[in-house]
Amino acid sequence: MARFVGYIAKRVLSYMVMIFVATSLTYFLASAFMSPRSNYESRTPRPPQESIEASLNATNLNDKTPILERYKTWLGNIATHWDWGKTPTGSSVNEEMSSRLAASVQLMTLATVISIVVGVSLGVYTAQRQYQWQDRFFGGMASLFMVVPTVVLAILIVFFAIEVNQLAGTRLFYVTGLSSYDGTNPFMALLDFLQHILLPTVVLTIISSVGYHLGQRTYLLDEMHADYVRTARAKGLTRKQAIRKHALRASLIPTAVSVAFSIAGIFTGAVMTEKIFAIHGLGEYFINCINNNNIHGAVAVAAFSGACTLVGALLADLFAAALDPRIKMS
Amino acid sequence: MSDEIRQDAPMEEKGMQEGSTDSEPKKAQLTNAELELLADEMGASGIGEVKRIGYFSLIGRRFVRQRSAMTGLVILALLALLAIFGPHIAPFTYTDPDFTALNVPPNATHWFGTDGGGFDLFASVVHGLGRSLAIGLIYSILTTIIAAVVGTSIAYVRGIPEKIGMWLLDMLLIIPSFLLVAMVVRAASGTQGWAMLIVGLTAFGWIGYARTLRTMALSLRERDYVRAAKYMGVSPLKTIVRHLIPNLGSILILDTVLGVIGGINSETAYSFLGLGIKAPDTSLGYLLSQGSSAMLSAPWIVLIPSVVLIVLCVSMQLIGDGLRDALDPYSRAAGSVEDDADEDDSSN
Repeated sequence: MARFVGYIAKRVLSYMVMIFVATSLTYFLASAFMSPRSNYESRTPRPPQESIEASLNATNLNDKTPILERYKTWLGNIATHWDWGKTPTGSSVNEEMSSRLAASVQLMTLATVISIVVGVSLGVYTAQRQYQWQDRFFGGMASLFMVVPTVVLAILIVFFAIEVNQLAGTRLFYVTGLSSYDGTNPFMALLDFLQHILLPTVVLTIISSVGYHLGQRTYLLDEMHADYVRTARAKGLTRKQAIRKHALRASLIPTAVSVAFSIAGIFTGAVMTEKIFAIHGLGEYFINCINNNNIHGAVAVAAFSGACTLVGALLADLFAAALDPRIKMS
Repeated sequence: MSDEIRQDAPMEEKGMQEGSTDSEPKKAQLTNAELELLADEMGASGIGEVKRIGYFSLIGRRFVRQRSAMTGLVILALLALLAIFGPHIAPFTYTDPDFTALNVPPNATHWFGTDGGGFDLFASVVHGLGRSLAIGLIYSILTTIIAAVVGTSIAYVRGIPEKIGMWLLDMLLIIPSFLLVAMVVRAASGTQGWAMLIVGLTAFGWIGYARTLRTMALSLRERDYVRAAKYMGVSPLKTIVRHLIPNLGSILILDTVLGVIGGINSETAYSFLGLGIKAPDTSLGYLLSQGSSAMLSAPWIVLIPSVVLIVLCVSMQLIGDGLRDALDPYSRAAGSVEDDADEDDSSN
């Protein structure tokens, strides 16, 4: 046990160093490529020079200050107050991010759970019917959805939803935002939320369940042809029993590892889907940061998603260790 | 010598016996491999029956045998022709608006209709298709080359440099490449945007791929021929280029084809978000973003580029699948009837 804790501690430490270096690198790159000064200079009427300098200094974004000095101030604020800096307009990055995090989590939790369930069950279902028409049908669908750009998929779904709305003469599906109901009836609020979240969830589910489906199918097929499954059959188990009791369990290990990675994605959101459905989550915030020369915001999102990726990697290690008796921590 | 071989391959021998009726009976007993050996003994010009196939013509043959792969290739060829010659046959160019026809649906003058600014959609789609193809191809080839060199080099050097290299790759992977690409591309101007997009996508697109190739090169670096090259004093660079990379060849070819889809998808995503190709240039992703705001009044603006993108990506996917089967020595694309029977026997 002590060895296990030591191993995890070592990994976490190495990950922290990695995040620190990656975030610093992002900070320098972002400072080189983004110019918050242009936000002020392009305003009409152009503000006086002193006021531009004053605003840039107040937000620690002035490119006339040496980059290392700005970096030191920025890093000091994070280390002492957990303050990730200010946007060019002067508001706090921490506040903006925390308000958007909730929307991303709402959107992604449902989609992640559904896509895991749908993807894994389709994988198990098709693996047992390899080369039969069900396998060919779902496999064909999967390879279609795998290559179609997310934008196209989302736009076509929005298009058909609008057509359905027009045919029905009422708004069955909402294609923007997460809620539009102001009343107090909790049942109506839930219904309204479901109407909003349905389409983005469908898009996200289609995109991510494809990976689970094809992965799970391959893993299960590999295991189904393994010696121990043949032994189980030879000892008198039916095909179904042998698969359920032996092959399925082993085939879930690699899937669990990829699930671990996707759990971290719940918090970082989905850039394209949020943009198309106008959901104000972290993914959309990221694009806005890039478009508005919001250096501190972009770096904070990058650091956050880096941290999530590494938590996912750590979770994946733990999952694999917990599920696979052959893996020894060393 | 030939007796041994005959024992090793009884299946093929039977096949040959049935297959070749017009040649001499004695030679019909021999397998192709034996004929080849005989030919070697008799000198280069040898006997006529021996047919040698090179690696690439073998792959080509297996590829052509598959109907879906050929369908994909034909569709891709048609799209490429459209992208090359489309701008010349179109009565309008994508830069000149026709103010007499704003937002008109597809008709005889404007084959794909026009958008709100009067720009001919056919000209724009054809131009965008060319952009997508160019970006996808160049991006894919460049990332494959970089990933192959970096991935195999990291595997080859071993020890501390390998650890440092992997650490750097891990670190580059956790920075969202989306941010980096967007920053690089956003600074570019409208007409140079597509070149910058390729640079940005390539600069950060090879990292995950290099990791995969390094894992594959781990077993290659233990092979005798690599070790032999090392002890003969062949330089590391030459070993990597001559021995490691060619032995990953089939994977590299396949990933280059499938990488094109990745490039096209990325272009669409960035341009849709306004971070990639911008006006006055145009691309399929840019057209989608224009059309998505007028989905009710002018659905053709968003539907036509969508269909073109789907057809393009699916054709690449079909080619990739066909290539995968052609490169896989155990696949069904490998063989004729008797080969299939052989395969079924061994698998059961």
